[in-house]
Amino acid sequence: MTTAGRRGRALIAGLALGSLLLSGCGGDTTPQAAGGSLSGTIKFQTWNLKNEKFTPYFNELIAAFEKENPGTKITWVDQPAEGYQDKLSADAAAGALPDVVDMGPEAAYTLAQAGVLLDVAKADPQAKGLYLDKAWQAMTFSGLGGGTYGYPWYLNTGPSFFNKALFEKCGLDPDKLPATYDELFDQAETMAKNCSDAYMIARMPAIENFGEYGVPLMDAAGKKFTYNDPKGVEFVERFKKLYASKGLTEEALNNLQTKEVEEFKAGRLAYLSGSSYTLNDLKETAPDIYKSLGIGPRISTAAPNMYIESLVVNATSENQPLAMAFAKYVTNAANQLAFAKKASVFPSSAGSMDDEYFTKDDGDPATKVRLESAAQVKKAIVWWPPAFSGSADAETLREQIAQALLGKKTVQQALDESVKYSNERLAQHG
Amino acid sequence: MTVSAQHKISLRWGRRRLHREEEAAPATHRWRVTPWLFLLPALVVIVVLVLLPFLNTLRLAFTDSTLLRSGEFTGWENFRRMFADERFGTALLNSTLYTVCVVPLMVALPLVLASLLAGTGRLMGLFRTTMYLPVIMSPVVVGLIWTNMLDKRGLVNELLATLKAVAEPVPFLTDRWLLLFSAMFVTVWMGLGYYMVIYLAALANIDPSLYDAAAMDGAGPVRTFLNVTVPGVRSTMGLIGVLSSVAAFRVFGEIYVLTNGTGGVGGGDITMTMLIQREGTGLQARTGYAGAISLVMFVILGGLLIAQLVLQRKQRTS
Repeated sequence: MTTAGRRGRALIAGLALGSLLLSGCGGDTTPQAAGGSLSGTIKFQTWNLKNEKFTPYFNELIAAFEKENPGTKITWVDQPAEGYQDKLSADAAAGALPDVVDMGPEAAYTLAQAGVLLDVAKADPQAKGLYLDKAWQAMTFSGLGGGTYGYPWYLNTGPSFFNKALFEKCGLDPDKLPATYDELFDQAETMAKNCSDAYMIARMPAIENFGEYGVPLMDAAGKKFTYNDPKGVEFVERFKKLYASKGLTEEALNNLQTKEVEEFKAGRLAYLSGSSYTLNDLKETAPDIYKSLGIGPRISTAAPNMYIESLVVNATSENQPLAMAFAKYVTNAANQLAFAKKASVFPSSAGSMDDEYFTKDDGDPATKVRLESAAQVKKAIVWWPPAFSGSADAETLREQIAQALLGKKTVQQALDESVKYSNERLAQHG
Repeated sequence: MTVSAQHKISLRWGRRRLHREEEAAPATHRWRVTPWLFLLPALVVIVVLVLLPFLNTLRLAFTDSTLLRSGEFTGWENFRRMFADERFGTALLNSTLYTVCVVPLMVALPLVLASLLAGTGRLMGLFRTTMYLPVIMSPVVVGLIWTNMLDKRGLVNELLATLKAVAEPVPFLTDRWLLLFSAMFVTVWMGLGYYMVIYLAALANIDPSLYDAAAMDGAGPVRTFLNVTVPGVRSTMGLIGVLSSVAAFRVFGEIYVLTNGTGGVGGGDITMTMLIQREGTGLQARTGYAGAISLVMFVILGGLLIAQLVLQRKQRTS
């Protein structure tokens, strides 16, 4: 073998070894790949969770993580409930987003669109198996090339609450509570005929209600909204019919959720879509209504809705391995279960829902609600499309439906207008 | 040497000295820099907080910029979109109507009030303080008070029902026009005290002998008010007209609170500033589009101010 030949082989071997080393070092950013030993400091941001109820939980959680990983430091910051989106906007615009942030899929979608968030499916491929598939899918954005932009954290869904006294007063059978939208509308119309001071519905439908009715919300590519299809029109027509028969007040065209809860507590509203918090709230703040409370599954014709919260990792974090490791730690099965018990929510980690806390009945009404909601989680879907982001889309939908109900335009025109607006915004951010 | 010759020499000497001082560069330099140093803090504030943001808004208006994307130049696209946007038409109409209705009331009512409460008695002081109270209240608190008052089951409807004046509750907060007029009422109620104080200061500058002369001529209170008070505070009326026009066209808080932040049923009560807020805030803010709406608003307000200034100047010359 000539010297040149040996040199050539050595060069090729060297390049091959170098490539292997490089691919091993830079291609994978999982905490394990980073060498197993984590160090440094990261900032972890939650949303309205620093209070008497949750502060001890997070302090213990952080202390346990830091003990397991000596040399690490987690700085926990919490933002108040009001103006959280504004805070995220300001941080994102200034490039000052914390390393691990608590947020829903809508905010995550916008930030992922701007390239601010880490695609955890790519960076941490093993993570997928640790969570419920539907939760993982909820954080996987088809409109952004199918990346997953957050570790699923907790889920929330809840039952429907009914005022049985109003059912009796307005000629309805309190033992036949509605379970589908058709049943709800039918009973609402009966109620409108028999009572002029009580109502079944007090709010315009939101995008997740369209999903629950079986309306296709987006195309398969996740690039266009489609809720103006005939099924969507049919859904809003039921509201229009109800409004015409005085089963909806003019206030209902503009009500937000807080007003709906107030109306239910005041005994003027027969149906309230609630969460697992609602039962306790009604017990404490509306004891008279609590006495005649009927509880049923969440109204849905297709599948019930649930909401998801996630922990996202900043793509520009200076300590990405630690950020990922901590986000995974907070969302692991044991910690999710502990948090779910504390916060009356449901874990998104695989297998956690089989815990007897979600399956064993002890006869308490609160347990019954929890068990029914847990059973509902198994068939529920996160209907709210993450691309239907920001309050502007939701406000426009509500306004357009109100205009259709007031007769200013047809239902089709109203939904077309809303879809056009949302598509335009989506395209502009893409 | 005569006195006259001495005087001439002295004058010539004085002129030369002045000329030499003018030529002395450092002194001249010092005199030119010093005023700017005094102005510097104010200039920095104006440039950083007013001029630069304004120029940035101007730039944004011609781009498809979003909060997280700087965007590209799109020419007049935002303006084309704006004029096709039904919400823009509604917002422009509402803000214009607000200005047209509120400004005359804001100019006239506080003047009447100030004329009535211009005395020095202890009771007058109490009345003036009472009238000023809404000014120091937060618009949100005021909005909440009036929301509860005007609600379907609020105090006003209860009162009307008790008096059997209405068969059905008046939809103050759900009917598009009633809500807009309710918000105008709240604005006037809040602003009365503020403008009254300005008028009180102006009234104090009217020569009391004019009132004596009017009384000797047998003028009654109305005639005295129209022929003495109004001409005496005409320039203040102009100032209040300008201030209240700008405030009325930019109305936000009153409608925002009365509609619970929604812009009314079907968005029928949305105003220009509410539209800008909706488009220009949040993670999905369309800063380019919001900038274009802001620019149109600026042009309208600028036009309004120029028109008022021209009108006032014409009145002064005539």
